[in-house]
Amino acid sequence: MREESLAFVAVENVSKTYSDQDSSGGVQVLRDVSVEIAEGEFVCLMGPSGSGKSTLLTILGAMNHPSEGRLVIDGIDVYALSDERRADFRLQYLGFVFQQHHLMPYLNAIENVMLPLATLKLAGIEKRRRALDVLEKVGLGDKASRLPSQLSGGEQGRLAIARALVNDPPLLLADEPTGTLDTKTGDEIMKVFLDLNSLGQTIFMVSHNPANAALVHRVLHIRDGEFEATSDKKDARTVTRLSPAL
Amino acid sequence: MRISTIAFANLRRRKGKALFLASGISIGIGTAVALLSLSGSLREEIGSQLDRFGANIVVTPHSDSLALDYGGISVSGVSFDQHQLSNEDAAGILRIPYRKRLSVVAPKLLGTVEVAGRKTLIAGVDFASELRLKKWWRLNGRAPESATEVLLGYDIARAVSAIEALPGTSGAADQGTAHHSAAPDVFRVTRERVTVGGREHRIAGVIGQTGGPEDRMVFAQLGQVQDLLGRPGQLSVIEVSALCKDCPVEDMVAQIRKELPHANVSAIQQSVRARTEAVDRLTQFSMVVSVVVLAIGALMIFTTMMSAVVERTKEIGVLRAIGFRRTHIIKGLMIEVVIISAVGGVAGWFGGLVASRLALPYFTEAGAQIELRVSLAAFAIAVAMLTGIISSIYPVMRASRLDPSEAVRYV
Repeated sequence: MREESLAFVAVENVSKTYSDQDSSGGVQVLRDVSVEIAEGEFVCLMGPSGSGKSTLLTILGAMNHPSEGRLVIDGIDVYALSDERRADFRLQYLGFVFQQHHLMPYLNAIENVMLPLATLKLAGIEKRRRALDVLEKVGLGDKASRLPSQLSGGEQGRLAIARALVNDPPLLLADEPTGTLDTKTGDEIMKVFLDLNSLGQTIFMVSHNPANAALVHRVLHIRDGEFEATSDKKDARTVTRLSPAL
Repeated sequence: MRISTIAFANLRRRKGKALFLASGISIGIGTAVALLSLSGSLREEIGSQLDRFGANIVVTPHSDSLALDYGGISVSGVSFDQHQLSNEDAAGILRIPYRKRLSVVAPKLLGTVEVAGRKTLIAGVDFASELRLKKWWRLNGRAPESATEVLLGYDIARAVSAIEALPGTSGAADQGTAHHSAAPDVFRVTRERVTVGGREHRIAGVIGQTGGPEDRMVFAQLGQVQDLLGRPGQLSVIEVSALCKDCPVEDMVAQIRKELPHANVSAIQQSVRARTEAVDRLTQFSMVVSVVVLAIGALMIFTTMMSAVVERTKEIGVLRAIGFRRTHIIKGLMIEVVIISAVGGVAGWFGGLVASRLALPYFTEAGAQIELRVSLAAFAIAVAMLTGIISSIYPVMRASRLDPSEAVRYV
């Protein structure tokens, strides 16, 4: 279902309530949240634990159905899609970088990168070519045959980014990608993100690190399921509207 | 990189668990294959015994008069029955729809004649058929080749002093007792001719002692006996041997009855029925044990797969997050299950065969063999895969339904 929208990503009045046996009404973790993200924008979401960051990220990741509101990406009402179509949507539109990387320990680097291509009807050689290209892009071209356990923390982070990029997704989602890394390695990962963004990659990142936030176009602050404020650190490329503040 | 690549990589990674599952299946399949092979071999052995037993269908005339006994079968009295069988009846049997399953049709005429002054049962037979039917006969000499030749039973031969034991043989020691069998190589034929029905006949051979009625009989060519008894073209009994392993004997009996409405047609099954029933029970027992063992194997697969799904929750969540459909998750897990089950099935089939070969001598006579049946191998592998798939359905479906947002946060 395609919708009219100015922004590439539009979160429209999204609320999320998790059922809870202890409270009859459940636990509301997001309250009427709206935000728009332009193509090519690098957005950082910050907030304390339990503020709703991860829930918003998984909703953006087309994995967590909102209780109210909708998510429109590239004109597609994501949660109007069936479960299987939404899986296809994730494959086509989204790249996900997890905090713990979640690499498959039994697959080598290039196999980990090829993982999202496993369900596609592409020739094996084409899958390998794509995976090698993206490994080169993150600086791991010479470590394609190594297992994740044979890579450093920074290299594992870059490998996770490579896996998220191999299907050439318009939107890259990252859940505290530097959260478990030392400063030097974290900086290394942030540089990869910034390089990608400079090439036009749209990125939405959850982070606790103010130093990372200082490098992005726009920072969203969330607390108790609501946006508190926004701070544009760089020139934003589109109009950003927050709710319910606005 | 395909879904199968992930499945194979997972199997390589979890070799121990995969081998554990495969061995569970192989034990179940092996037990089933061993028991079914054993019961199959026992059934084959019974079939062979039935063939050795000789005739399995006997055709006699309708009669109220039962005067003579032959082979444990009551035969109508030769002089008084109203409905005689004839040579045409023997030919009629060869016209039944199941005629291709007929192995031997052996017509014979029975009657009493004077042999060297004593009343004796004589059988006119077609020796070519008769010797195929009576495979346990061991002749000292040969079968009659002309109308003037006869074959004597062991007791008759002794009674008319046609044989004498060879010195130094057990036959010599057994002289005077009819309870021990005498092989044809422990006596020699000492008389060339004997008077049968008032006519001089040449003794072509003597049948080694069988312990059966033939020991007390004289055999001559059918036409000659019909002539001696004054009953040209008539028969007393027709013995039929059908290729009987799993053959529809009752159907054949019905067809012969239809062809020969004036005759009694009966199948000789009593002697093997008890053993057949025992094998049937063994087969049923085998099936029950196999099902139980397979059920235990299935339960093992179920619990292992359930724990594997829990163990791999995060991995499944990641795959779902990066765009794997539910069906892709199901496919990947099922490939693993099918490979494990197939390996278990092949190993079980092979192990079962080896086990049954080792166990066979304890259940059957020497010489019995376990056949390498492709159908059993295919059946074993198919059952193994089916067991694996059925017992994995719930865990796999559960894995496919994992909420990816929850699964990636699972620790």
